[in-house]
Amino acid sequence: MSSEPAIEDLLRDLAPQVLGALVRRHGQFDACEDAVQEALFAATVQWPVEGIPGGPRSWLLTVATRALVDHWRTDSARRRRETSAALDPTDWSAVNVHDMAPGEEDTLALLFLCCHPALSAPSQLALTLRAVGGLTTAQIAAAFLVPEATMAQRIGRAKQRIRDTGTRFVLPPPTERVARLGVVLHVLYLVFNEGYTASSGPDLHRADLTTEAIRLTRLLHRLLPGEGEVTGLLALMLLTDARRTARTEPDGSLVPLAEQRRDQWDTTAIAEGQALLTRTLGAGPIGQYQIQAAIAAVHDEASAAEQTDWPQILALYDVLVQVAPGPMVTLSRAVALAMVHGPIAGLALLGTLDADDRLAHTHRLEAVRAHLLEQSGDPQAARESYLRAARMTASLPEQRYLTRRAALLLSALPSATDPTES
Amino acid sequence: MKYMIMMFGGLGASLENRSPEWITNMQTTMMRMDGELRESGEVVDSQHLMAPSQADTVRFQDGAPTATDGPFAEIKESLAGYWIIEGSRERAIEIAAQVVAVTEYPMEVRRIMDQSAQE
Repeated sequence: MSSEPAIEDLLRDLAPQVLGALVRRHGQFDACEDAVQEALFAATVQWPVEGIPGGPRSWLLTVATRALVDHWRTDSARRRRETSAALDPTDWSAVNVHDMAPGEEDTLALLFLCCHPALSAPSQLALTLRAVGGLTTAQIAAAFLVPEATMAQRIGRAKQRIRDTGTRFVLPPPTERVARLGVVLHVLYLVFNEGYTASSGPDLHRADLTTEAIRLTRLLHRLLPGEGEVTGLLALMLLTDARRTARTEPDGSLVPLAEQRRDQWDTTAIAEGQALLTRTLGAGPIGQYQIQAAIAAVHDEASAAEQTDWPQILALYDVLVQVAPGPMVTLSRAVALAMVHGPIAGLALLGTLDADDRLAHTHRLEAVRAHLLEQSGDPQAARESYLRAARMTASLPEQRYLTRRAALLLSALPSATDPTES
Repeated sequence: MKYMIMMFGGLGASLENRSPEWITNMQTTMMRMDGELRESGEVVDSQHLMAPSQADTVRFQDGAPTATDGPFAEIKESLAGYWIIEGSRERAIEIAAQVVAVTEYPMEVRRIMDQSAQE
């Protein structure tokens, strides 16, 4: 890969535009994607030596088209050829995408294509990062901690799947648009989450995922500035990522929100997130990302943990459980409930989650319970819960943190512990 | 030559009644050693496994493979993690000794077999 960051950034920006233009002209998403990869590779080899051409986008398009035609000369490619997907201009106008530059329309269609419901979530993520994000297969593989060959297969199969659905290169019809946009947002949210939860630790590849998620969401926000949930998601990412530095100790272990050094929070990102939120709240029906962003904003407003406006956070969770109900939301609401009405109230709400199968394999229910038991003055039960949570988590930094919290309660126990395995 | 250096136990067995200071020191030492071995290039692979209570074991019972919750060995003897290093037996034992000095819990060192034929 090019050692020149300026060229690499330029190629990453142009890649989806070139791919979009090619697919719009010729259909055959998978063959076009291969051709674009070849053109990008040629650029990384030639541009550092010969300089960036005057019209880099045209250069890439020309080289990619040539590669595509070469590919068609083989018999197998000719047999697989489909009718080209011509773009119907009326589709665009129905989706309110006036004033978009041609490249931007293609990129938006590409984003929807990569998040096609026929693909599994891991495939959607990988294909989006590749085709719209312009990351190499190696970079994506490193980010998701799988071997490169595995990721190459995943992307190859995803491309074939797209081809097999026979999807035309147009935006989904207005009746499907809201649902499909929801899928796109979910994919971007997963990319962000993958990078954020893994960002405690020495592997910088994973922190790059949050940067990439923000970059793609910014792009989507530029394309669809009127969509409240897109704005909400961007705000949520900025307000959450603002805490990244404070969230990790040098040795990779986690610092919980209540203990973070808030002077390490990124005030620029927080300001931008708050501004986005102010513009979008109340401008239309509210969605889950806007509410989550609002919750993040309340946290980020507090100069110290003790200043946190928990009643406001609880009120926002009361809305979130109606807009996007689910066990994880209830779990987070229980934390807020405990901060406002005391740990017993929070523990009672947790009790309603014990029968929920969806939480059976996550350590989080146990971890929250442990924390509330500790606050309610039951160190024995809290310690047992912390150890149970420590055993259930797949994250090593998380396990270390929970083990330490369990150990801290030893001195609070009434007598010597019974050395049984629990 | 490649050696596997193995750690055993669940969280209860190796950490029961240990003070928070002891645990923090133990965790810090393990992370430092992980880093040092990677930097020296001796480590081929290293992994920590989830707690033994999270394992499944597949046994041959009544003529068919049957999966049950739980580890194969007793929890205190279950594999917790491993390093695979390139080096000598002495070096592998030396590394294990550095860890045992801190964890005060046994580790096993065993050579990994070669895939090729030998003289």
